[in-house]
Amino acid sequence: MKKILTLFIHDRLIRFYPRPDNVIEHMKNLFIIAALVLGISTSISAEIASPPKRIVSLAPNMTEILYALGLGDNIVGVTSFCDYPEEAKKKPKIGGMSDPSLEAVVSLKPDIVVMTTDGNPKEFEERLRSLEVHTYVSQARRLADLPRGIRELGVALGVRERADALADKIAAGIRNSAGQKAALASPPSTPKKILFIVWPEPLIVAGPGTVINDAIALLRGENLAATAKTQYPKYSIEEAIRQAPDVIMIGKASGMDMQAISNGILQRLATVPAVKNGKVCFMGDSLYRLGPRVVKGIEELSECLK
Amino acid sequence: MSQVRMLVLIAVTLLIVLCSVFLGPRIVSPMATTDIDKEILFSIRLPRVLVALLMGMALGASGAVLQGILRNPLADPYILGISSGASLSAALGIIGGLTFLGTFTVPMLAFCGALVTGGIVGVMGWKRGGLWPDRLLLAGVGLSFLFSALLMLMMSISTDEGLRRAMLWIFGDLSMSEWPRIPYGLAFVMIGILLSTTRAKALNALILGDEFAHSLGFAPRRERFILFISVGLMTGASVSLGGMIGFIGLLIPHIMRFFLGSDSRMLIPASALGGGALLCIADLISRSLLPPLELPAGVITAIIGAPYFLYLLRRKDVLSI
Repeated sequence: MKKILTLFIHDRLIRFYPRPDNVIEHMKNLFIIAALVLGISTSISAEIASPPKRIVSLAPNMTEILYALGLGDNIVGVTSFCDYPEEAKKKPKIGGMSDPSLEAVVSLKPDIVVMTTDGNPKEFEERLRSLEVHTYVSQARRLADLPRGIRELGVALGVRERADALADKIAAGIRNSAGQKAALASPPSTPKKILFIVWPEPLIVAGPGTVINDAIALLRGENLAATAKTQYPKYSIEEAIRQAPDVIMIGKASGMDMQAISNGILQRLATVPAVKNGKVCFMGDSLYRLGPRVVKGIEELSECLK
Repeated sequence: MSQVRMLVLIAVTLLIVLCSVFLGPRIVSPMATTDIDKEILFSIRLPRVLVALLMGMALGASGAVLQGILRNPLADPYILGISSGASLSAALGIIGGLTFLGTFTVPMLAFCGALVTGGIVGVMGWKRGGLWPDRLLLAGVGLSFLFSALLMLMMSISTDEGLRRAMLWIFGDLSMSEWPRIPYGLAFVMIGILLSTTRAKALNALILGDEFAHSLGFAPRRERFILFISVGLMTGASVSLGGMIGFIGLLIPHIMRFFLGSDSRMLIPASALGGGALLCIADLISRSLLPPLELPAGVITAIIGAPYFLYLLRRKDVLSI
């Protein structure tokens, strides 16, 4: 909350100084800044007092974090993608991540709506704010941001100690994950070339800027798609053959039999070392979400790399 | 004169096909020596280029036939709802995670969807012992709205990740082209092109009106029915080979008319060749521009085709079907 507001003020200030040509605009800006500063002080004092009773989560990873912070009972609404932990499935649904229903969210009378910049539309947050609904927007997108993101959420939700504990645990988990230790102890002279398949037909892989890419780098592997232009590029099969991955990992899409739908692509990649040597791993979905399960995902990854 | 142009077109198409086999993210020499180069050439590029060629040919030819039997310059193979039906059943297969025929499942579902939809449109367009152009067109448009709406409905209520991927398939994907798909694709596309080219004289007459065709000794309803079947086969085969690729079916026949005139005997094979060549180039660009990222071929088709079409449109002053 505070961060968003600070950013917003910052944005206003930048616009304020270089173009001193419109007095009314300036007055408006000053007024908004003043209002925001007042808003911050009141909202912070209100939020720190006790955890909000009614929380709506607009992202599966935020739902998982809220449960891990022991706030599961306070959650009154989740997205249709929130399927972990099991109890989250029973919470009222407010729509998808990119298209939540404003009416559904508002009718739940939330004390705070927890969102993320990674998947929720900015306009939705603006609409909520204009309706005087409190929001918390997590800026964390990368693996390294997660502990800090959880601490900030803890401050905003008044569960600072629990959040710090969880963040410490995750940070330690990331640091100490068995695979990383092994990798640090004996760094392989040539890093293993990895292709992480998100969807087999058409071939879509995990590229730069994803948690998967971060986790692979953490374990000293080489993500072959790291130089692609987008996060989840539609990947050239012929380039995949040329790059000769040592390990192929196939992520889990909910409700799909990944082994069955991957047969085709594995046949086409039959000549690459990973398929020849049987180094094809079917993974879970832990690394798709920047939440408490990333540590498990990293362990899974290092297990596959052994 | 037009025979010479036809020969030029055949030569250009062959050249383009050869180029798209050997060019790409990296150039593979025709004398491929390494195992990897051979593998890429034979298992990846050749089937892909052939699928692009077949799809483009099917779309170009069926566009030319359809504009004739519907007497409408705006008709394209997707207007009859055949592609929406194919997409819907393919999406059901992808989202439902069906794999009963292995990698053949989705193409097979798409083809069946196309045939069933074609059948429905045919029944709706049938009145008093024959197919009527306006009825066919309206039935197709109506059905296509219905199927698109059902597809959107599936999209909005499904939470599956598979859904977004289904969309990728529907919007045209040539990357999964493989040899087993070639024989049936080749068979249906060739049957369609041969069937329609042999009825080309009748199509010429139909364009001028049913009475006219009748006076020339053609049975308009029967001819239209045969041509409709050929369009259904070609469009169905094309969607099932690689999803939907826009532009070709609508504008390639017009571009070919600029070059060769409106005689269907020339226009149908020429549109087939032009469509095939354009899709091969588009696919070549889509996989070579930003490797290892692949762009959607359908987007490239329109980006290179539409400006050229507009240029021709500006230059010519006579338009006809």
